[in-house]
Amino acid sequence: MKLLTSHILGSAIVTPLGTGCEAVLATEQNATPPPVSEVVNPGNGRRHWVATVPAATGSHLAREPRLRRASTISMLAATAATAAVASSGITPGSRTALVVGVSSGCAVYTRRFYEQIVKSGANTASPLLFPETVHNAPASHLAAMMKLDGATYTLIGDASIGLQALHFGNQLLAMGDADHVIVAAAEELDWILAEGHRLWRLTSRTGRCEPDSCSGALLAEGAAAVVLARSGGGTRVTTAPGISIASRKEASEALRTAVESLRAPQCDWCVDGANGTWVDSAYGAVRGSARRFSPKAWIGEALGASALQQVVIAGELLTSSGSGTAVVPALGWNQNAAAALVSR
Amino acid sequence: MGVVSPLGVGLADTALALREGRDCIVPVTAFDTSKCRSKTAGHAPNIGTNDARLHPASRMMIAAAHEVLRGDPSYSPEIAFIGTTSGGMSDGERYFRTSERHQRGQPTMLANYPAQRPVVDALRAIGSRAPAQIIANACASGSNAIGHAFRLIRSGLHDRVLAGGYDALCELVYVGFDSLQAATTDKVRPFDKGRSGLVLGEGAALLSLEELESARRRGAPILAEVTGYGISTDNHHLTQPHPSGIGPEMAMSRALADAKLEAENIDYINAHGTATAFNDSSEGAAIAKLFGSRVPVSSTKGMMGHSLGAAGAIEAVFCVLALADGFLPPNINYREADPAFDLNIVANESRPAPLRAVLSNSVGFGGTNASIILEVPR
Repeated sequence: MKLLTSHILGSAIVTPLGTGCEAVLATEQNATPPPVSEVVNPGNGRRHWVATVPAATGSHLAREPRLRRASTISMLAATAATAAVASSGITPGSRTALVVGVSSGCAVYTRRFYEQIVKSGANTASPLLFPETVHNAPASHLAAMMKLDGATYTLIGDASIGLQALHFGNQLLAMGDADHVIVAAAEELDWILAEGHRLWRLTSRTGRCEPDSCSGALLAEGAAAVVLARSGGGTRVTTAPGISIASRKEASEALRTAVESLRAPQCDWCVDGANGTWVDSAYGAVRGSARRFSPKAWIGEALGASALQQVVIAGELLTSSGSGTAVVPALGWNQNAAAALVSR
Repeated sequence: MGVVSPLGVGLADTALALREGRDCIVPVTAFDTSKCRSKTAGHAPNIGTNDARLHPASRMMIAAAHEVLRGDPSYSPEIAFIGTTSGGMSDGERYFRTSERHQRGQPTMLANYPAQRPVVDALRAIGSRAPAQIIANACASGSNAIGHAFRLIRSGLHDRVLAGGYDALCELVYVGFDSLQAATTDKVRPFDKGRSGLVLGEGAALLSLEELESARRRGAPILAEVTGYGISTDNHHLTQPHPSGIGPEMAMSRALADAKLEAENIDYINAHGTATAFNDSSEGAAIAKLFGSRVPVSSTKGMMGHSLGAAGAIEAVFCVLALADGFLPPNINYREADPAFDLNIVANESRPAPLRAVLSNSVGFGGTNASIILEVPR
């Protein structure tokens, strides 16, 4: 398995705790549970605990022409990506590529659009909603905001998609297709997602996310973004393509293989994706003697955004602790196991 | 290669239908279209299976994957790049309707919803554990998947990459295009002056890409060479291309430069050609600007509809068939040239032609444009 390495020039994170890593690290120190709210299926009245980002997040982007009618996921992606670009110091141009990772994607507009079809008839469905249901709508908005006319990709996958997007970005750099790659990942919430995951017995009924408890994940909104380059940053990220999984039985071995493929026998930190579900035991098996940080206990399970959030948090942990390396394993519920090595 | 589309299951049926210029657009039966303007689509033949739980998208992908292995039994991909737009949306629709009736949905209704599921199903069906990356660049996804796979191989990062695309018809997307008034009540007439919109289609196609010398060492059948890829982003509008055609023009120019070819080296263009007013005028202007009226152009969507994330992959298969068999696939339902662009349209009937290099275009919502160039093997 070929490993690819790039430098992180800038990064940003959006979580239910706000924008930036500081609140995440502080919350872990204080062991404060994340702020939660409920979403309700109006049809059957079922309630589901979720963690949403603060309402004011991204308000500075509200006047962007492309974002006026955009869904939450586009706002979250734009908030993270613009902050990452600002912190990187680059000026995006024709040699800047964009890779956006999502899992459920534009769930709110998709549900609303289909709801119009079912309740009021196909002839009443809004042409304003439909374009925002398409998976690459956030990437399109971001490209327009940053005036990117080159390579723009949207990738779909499970909770490991952030690492797949990073690897895709590393491929573009390694092939010489771009000088900089903005990698973003985002997820929004809707009751239909919460209820679907409840059916699979994957979500918490308590509004808490307690890793290793098997009490379920707390679904969350969120986003993360990094700016990659072949050289120039203090933090490096090494990625591999990941391992395909078709069932839970394959997951532990796949994650172990993904971590071993990084050829990094002793890391200071393991920033894992433990979320209170069956995946947690697989993380336990790859942690070794590395110090554990399980951010989903504090920021929830943001699906498509989560693995890139872990990477950004790992970079911040290395900086704040003066450590050298962190392994970031990510195991999705239905597609892929992957791992990245973040180092300074 | 492996392909499933409204033109048939498998390469042989597909090539025959393509040569005949068969119109495979039929009334929609998968869902109610009584409140839609458009009532037709390109339905792929039903693929039988022993596993009734499989989504139609998985069935098409598995059939395409099996055909790949029948053509080259020792092929083993290191990684797969697959394009799609809607994944298993029809199962998501089923779940929503169940929920609306205040019934409790079943977990199995959601099992097929993730876009990655048909890809994992197909890989497992051929005994592969290769990692799968799903590209969702709207209607350019299939071409993006092939283009990125080609670039990975040429750069030496991988030797064998399975690439392609899939999409199955679903109500949400069908109504979506209808709501945008992009769907037609007429025949699909790409590049015709009287064109009035698209109809949707479905299908799946997979291409087993491999580094040339590696394939030769294995004695693998080499059907064509991918030699160029261009990608561009047009920031004009979320759903409408810039009228100048700058998006496809950049993608085609970049693909030509990537392949180290000049415009006069291209013998045929398989256009995106959805038959919407906006797409065809933009793409037509770009082709006319770069290639003039010399190169034969056709859109094959008149025969099978627009299969979205699968379109680029299916049309790449069409291009390989055209290269191998020496013919120009027809642009059916063509009546009158649009004076806005002067193109050499392959009108209504296929034509024999010796081909060395062909270009395939894909244009997607969000402003994504992709062009790939395929040549006869050296």
